[in-house]
Amino acid sequence: MVLERQILPYLQWLLYGEPGGMGALLRFVLVLLGVGLAALVIGFLVAALRYGFARGGDMTYRTVSGGFVELLHTRWRRVWALAMLAVKEARRRRVLIALGVYLVILLFAQWFLSTDYPEPARLYLSFVLTATTYLMLGIGLLLSAFSLPSDFKTKTIYTVVTKPVRAGEIVMGRILGFTIVGTVLLAVMALASYVFVIRSLDHTHEIDAAALKTINIGGEMRGYDGSTDKEMGHRHLIELDADRRGLAEQDRGHVHEILPDGEGYDVSGALGLMKARVPKYGKLAFIDRNGAKKDSGISVGYEWKYRSFIDGNTQAAAIWTFDGLDPNTEDESLELALIVRVFRTHKGVIGQPITGSIKFRNPETGQSSAESSFLALDQQIDEMSFARAMFDPDDNPVDLFEDLVTDDGRLEVIVQCLEGGQYFGFAQADCYIRQPEGDPRANFFKVNLSIWVQMVIVIAIGVTVSTLVSGPVAMLFTASFILLGFFRQFFLNVATGQEYGGGPLESLVRLVTQKNVMVDLGEGVGVTIVKSIDAVFQGFMWCVGQLLPDFRSLSAVAFAADGYNVPWDRVWQDLTLCGAYVVGLSILGFFLLRTREVAR
Amino acid sequence: MSDEVVLQTRALSKVYRDFWGRQKVRALKALDLNVHRGEVFGLLGPNGSGKTTTMKLVLGLLFPTEGEAVVFGRPASDVAKNERIGYLPEESYLYRFLTAEETLDFYGRLFDMPADVRAQRVDALIKQVGLDKARKRPLQEYSKGMTRRIGLAQALINDPELILLDEPTSGLDPIGTREMKDMILELKKQGKTVVMCSHLLADVQDVCDRIAILHQGELKELGRVDELLTIADVTQIRGRNLSTDCQNEIRDVIARHHGELLSMNNPTTTLEDLFLDIVRDSEARPGRRTASVAAAAGGDAATSDESGTPDQPAS
Ligand SMILES: Nc1ncnc2c1ncn2[C@@H]1O[C@H](COP(=O)(O)OP(=O)(O)OP(=O)(O)O)[C@@H](O)[C@H]1O
Ligand SMILES: [Mg+2]
Repeated sequence: MVLERQILPYLQWLLYGEPGGMGALLRFVLVLLGVGLAALVIGFLVAALRYGFARGGDMTYRTVSGGFVELLHTRWRRVWALAMLAVKEARRRRVLIALGVYLVILLFAQWFLSTDYPEPARLYLSFVLTATTYLMLGIGLLLSAFSLPSDFKTKTIYTVVTKPVRAGEIVMGRILGFTIVGTVLLAVMALASYVFVIRSLDHTHEIDAAALKTINIGGEMRGYDGSTDKEMGHRHLIELDADRRGLAEQDRGHVHEILPDGEGYDVSGALGLMKARVPKYGKLAFIDRNGAKKDSGISVGYEWKYRSFIDGNTQAAAIWTFDGLDPNTEDESLELALIVRVFRTHKGVIGQPITGSIKFRNPETGQSSAESSFLALDQQIDEMSFARAMFDPDDNPVDLFEDLVTDDGRLEVIVQCLEGGQYFGFAQADCYIRQPEGDPRANFFKVNLSIWVQMVIVIAIGVTVSTLVSGPVAMLFTASFILLGFFRQFFLNVATGQEYGGGPLESLVRLVTQKNVMVDLGEGVGVTIVKSIDAVFQGFMWCVGQLLPDFRSLSAVAFAADGYNVPWDRVWQDLTLCGAYVVGLSILGFFLLRTREVAR
Repeated sequence: MSDEVVLQTRALSKVYRDFWGRQKVRALKALDLNVHRGEVFGLLGPNGSGKTTTMKLVLGLLFPTEGEAVVFGRPASDVAKNERIGYLPEESYLYRFLTAEETLDFYGRLFDMPADVRAQRVDALIKQVGLDKARKRPLQEYSKGMTRRIGLAQALINDPELILLDEPTSGLDPIGTREMKDMILELKKQGKTVVMCSHLLADVQDVCDRIAILHQGELKELGRVDELLTIADVTQIRGRNLSTDCQNEIRDVIARHHGELLSMNNPTTTLEDLFLDIVRDSEARPGRRTASVAAAAGGDAATSDESGTPDQPAS
């Protein structure tokens, strides 16, 4: 699974952030201050323009100071009443139709999703969860953007604001109410999609007892082997013990349990369709072909920077350093997983995978195990198990935990490619120690929780924006916010000048003059003007970028699809982020609504 | 009626502007008013004269262009004042998908009323406005009069001290109108202050203690209804069993004859006549109408507005 950004422990994320970065809390405060200051200046300018300098200033001051007093008057009963009103309104607007739409989506999915696929669970999960995400974001958008504007249009807001209702309560009530509606919808969808995935992929196989071969070792009957029949486009190899019990081996990401049933066999349903692997990641470093240490491997051309490559049959190696291992553990083996991106410069032996080697080393003493080889299949998760009793390169026994793990719990895993002219690509998350798997159902819940978080953020944005503008405008605004949120990184890169082709205006000039992004525009007055306008644009974009929720990194669909456990650290981070958006936007919405002339 | 001023407007002005800040309508021009505790105050004026605008300014639904409105000694923009105010808008601005009960319960919650108080109050109000049979029906099924009644109930949910009614009798049948007027008088008896605006003169004449007449955003007349309608320089005598002689000499000898003097006072005009007269006059001569009103508006309105009397009695 691709993990572009390391998931930090919650407190570190909150207080310190990535090394050299900024803690989330500080960032939140800074953004809040920034927005507050901007709002203050804009508010004052507008008021001053309308009512003159002194009166404008006075009004701004009173709005702010009175605003904070009003926040203290927030009453739960009012918020709840407004939330329930929002729920009723949503029901009246027939949001339940969304469930019908979802059902139709699932029915269609039944048609076009193929179970005859190397990893059907990944396909199914990513489809249903992506569908859920988009549907929920859409619902959140429609519910939130049109609610307040329609209240303004029908003037029902008059009767509400002439009660002792604080503007913040109107905003919070809306957010809460639509969140409740969304939560119910999401819960139903999550349940439906879970049942859908399990039901669609569950199957069993028949075993022809007569076709099984007995395994005799030294004249002794040890068991049977053979294969099941073909079902859902695959068959499993089976291996049974002398009591005719055993397992249909892993294929398409699942196994079946086999028990004897009279003369025949009883094969269980598919087991392990959904997984929740719990990886323990290490730190990745590289050694280049001449044996020098490096932070990254080599690039194999225009590729995404996530992975870098080591060349085969040289000294080049990828080294992961794990820490927090227990040298005194009782475990009999170390469970490791490795994902290799194979880059071939020649075909090699057709149909043969490329061979690599893996070994363990003690980073302090330098003592290491002998290399063991593996066959690298491109982008497959290779789950390996290493018994603790090992041999060093000179065939002396070493204990993986006692000898190769340092006292403070560090261990190095060194991977090399053994075939000249071929390359292995690695990212930090491509090698990890497998810890006991989590409950896939809990994991499914956590992934849906991440959808929930995105939905709540959308609702909060929609409600806040709609305090100021009409429904369609609020929807457009929120939709573009979501869209930009999906491309936040790119947007920020443009803002900070890291993308080729310059800022928006420069890009336009290039487009019109048909100069590609690499062509130098030269110097001149025109170019200077364009660039300085872009600088303003980019400054603005940077500011907007600070507010954008990064929907792509909020999505945890990949975790479920690839069968990884969503770490709780991440769940808390998402929830905190969500809370921050709700709080920040509520405050903003409060002031926007308060300064709005209701009866215009 | 006490001297305590519940509602005050000071040079309250409103200019409606379009999106670009260009002036569209001067809806209200420097209005000075004082409404005292316990009185029923009527805002009169033809369509578009700024009555609703005044109410919205008082409620903080609009922001004044100039001047200010003060309610219970607080600025109109202060939300806390709403605790003691009830407002019946000119049209029903209620959620049409709620039933009468749900509507009142919802607004009760907005006053942070505990559940038992709320239930009791909702029940009493529904009975009071005569919607007992329709309490479980959604408002979208209501007739205009029923909607008006639930609107009034909604305005009274918090047992307000100051009640603003924007054309309370519009859409009501004669019985409903009568009931509404009785209700207003009942509220007055309970010591509440009522400000209502209307162009139904009979209604105003029946219930209001004092009125202000607006025309094109300007205050044209302000005073006690009974005083305003009195024609000062005319004496009216009603008699019975007067002989022909007596009738001939009635003006100077009535006291010396044995006729029964039923009444001898100044006749009153109808409010309709007064109103039409003021509007006609205002259209002929725009600007402030009477010296007394001008003085009231320009000086300390709290003391001088009581004395406003028409300088041109109708005949
Ligand atoms: N939102 C608005 N935008 C622009 N002009 C407005 C707006 N509301 C009212 N006006 C104008 O302000 C003036 C006063 O309107 P207002 O509603 O206060 O009249 P009114 O006395 O309540 O009339 P009616 O008896 O018809 O209810 C009118 O000329 C009206 O056109
Ligand atoms: Mg009106």
